Amino acid sequence: MSLSAGGYGQNMLPVAATITGIDRLTDKDCVFSIRLSKGGILRFRASQFVILSLFGIGEAPISISSSPLDSEKSFELCIRVVGNLTRAVHRLSVGDKVGIRGPYGNGFPMERIEGRDVVIVAGGLGLAPLRSLIRHVIHERDRYGRVIVLIGAKRPQDILFKEDILLWEANPSIEVHLTVDVAVPPWDKHVGVITKLFRYVDVDSLNAVAAVVGPPIMYRFVVSEILNKGLFEGNIYLSLERRMRCGIGKCGHCQINGIYLCQDGPVLSYMEARKLKEAL
Amino acid sequence: MDRTIKYDGVEGFIARLMDNYDVIAPVPREDRFVFDLLTEPSGAVMEYGTTLLPPVKWIYRNNEPLLKFDLEDIEKTKAVIDVRQQVLLFVHPCDINAINIMDEVLAEEPADENYLAIRRATVIIGYECLTPCREDTLCYDKGCHYADRGYDVIFTDIGSGFYVRVETGRGKEIVGGDPSFRKAVYDDRIALMLRRDEGGLRFGRAVAGEMGKLSHLLKENYDDDIWDVKGERCLSCGACNIVCPTCYCFDTVDEIGSDMREGCRYRRWDGCQLEGFCKVASGENFRDSAAARIRHRVFKKEVYLKKRFGRSGCVGCGRCIDSCMAGISIIDIFNHIMEKRHA
Repeated sequence: MSLSAGGYGQNMLPVAATITGIDRLTDKDCVFSIRLSKGGILRFRASQFVILSLFGIGEAPISISSSPLDSEKSFELCIRVVGNLTRAVHRLSVGDKVGIRGPYGNGFPMERIEGRDVVIVAGGLGLAPLRSLIRHVIHERDRYGRVIVLIGAKRPQDILFKEDILLWEANPSIEVHLTVDVAVPPWDKHVGVITKLFRYVDVDSLNAVAAVVGPPIMYRFVVSEILNKGLFEGNIYLSLERRMRCGIGKCGHCQINGIYLCQDGPVLSYMEARKLKEAL
Repeated sequence: MDRTIKYDGVEGFIARLMDNYDVIAPVPREDRFVFDLLTEPSGAVMEYGTTLLPPVKWIYRNNEPLLKFDLEDIEKTKAVIDVRQQVLLFVHPCDINAINIMDEVLAEEPADENYLAIRRATVIIGYECLTPCREDTLCYDKGCHYADRGYDVIFTDIGSGFYVRVETGRGKEIVGGDPSFRKAVYDDRIALMLRRDEGGLRFGRAVAGEMGKLSHLLKENYDDDIWDVKGERCLSCGACNIVCPTCYCFDTVDEIGSDMREGCRYRRWDGCQLEGFCKVASGENFRDSAAARIRHRVFKKEVYLKKRFGRSGCVGCGRCIDSCMAGISIIDIFNHIMEKRHA
């Protein structure tokens, strides 16, 4: 269900929602649990996003960090302080209200991932949308082959969702590898760029898919590693970032050549993305 | 049934229109023309060069209210559409063609209901061009010096008065009951044909080459030097976006009233040529050179919209050329690309 089916006037109309929980992850990032008013349920796929409204300040696109299978009652948004709106969001408390519209975008094609080995590559804030995918996969773990998660961050203290990561590391059915650019004691895991973790990736390459989200600079290097592993271009999914303003393919800010990323993305296969000169 | 009207009958017709509608017409403003709300029937001019802003901006308005909200209770937030019954008077064919494009683009689901509601409440009275309104246009190259639909009625000067082609039921209502019009007869239609034939000869091509190949040639020359050459001159001021009758990119802005409680979210025109158009909050700018932005604008009109809707998004009005302080001309760019076929 889209919250705002119908005309554009309605499409730009957020529904009211309440913050039911705030969990601090780092000095810049918090996870906000959000519940829609009037028993509304947000039905979404991993890597879809909502547009968050703070009335009087404006709107910002935020990817959903919880899994669609987590809970019907609420969903989670991981929000980093980067500008006016996100700074204002961080000043809110449990019980405060915000506006939500969406979900927007296509999300990861779960039906195409089923039955396959899955390589998930998260750089920095890229873990926010990928946590949704990872949790989704763990929820129905027997539907997938090997699951390998590679996570990179600048410093140990920048790593998001540390509690989740501890659980994933303790879970024998998935493999998790972490690296940071700059180690700070007592860090005892990998140091260096995320591509270094690919030596741990051992998958059935003809039958594997990859999901990649990270800073723009990361994609080219990571995709090249994945291609070296023998995966098909069409089986490498990238979720890209652009300035999603309206979410309905009109305002023009998220356009990459001929596509509107808010509608036709944010998930593109590498096969699609490499044909768009502005994509990577 | 088509009508005719004498030259001296037009003012009375406009006066009667003003009783029922907001009438938006070309009026002189300093040494130029603008579409503005008429206060006097005699204010409208029929012979005018292209207006500074296209008339579609009265349908796709700046600062269009989208939502009203109450900071004390955001459950009360509601979508708003500010509709008025209006007439766009004496609209040139290029601008009618542009409105046709906007209608198609903004009706694509999820549709822009604000635009569509205002568009439905807008009567369009065209004014046919029998001579180019100025230099530096490419309306003829684009086949947009003539409009075959998109208006309710259209006036054509046939020497003895105006021939008034009636296209829609709403157009029929407007002229049918008005005493200034009489039914067009055979001689009027002959006069119309002759006038059009004469008029057609006055238009000429600005771009050398087959326009049908432009989209393909642009794609072939995505990495051409022309973008850097023009990019070096471009001031990234966005004037070309704002004056374009088919530019519809926007941003939203919230304003709170003096009671610090009730507020409104507005749509505000934005432009893909502005430096920060593709900049995200983290600071990354996904189209960070003027060259890439100019290329995007040209490709949006000639490649992307064409692929999506089957026709170019440029009607050749020439406003972007006229408004460019850096002297960048879309005609030069097209001619440069057209020459590439021989390279």
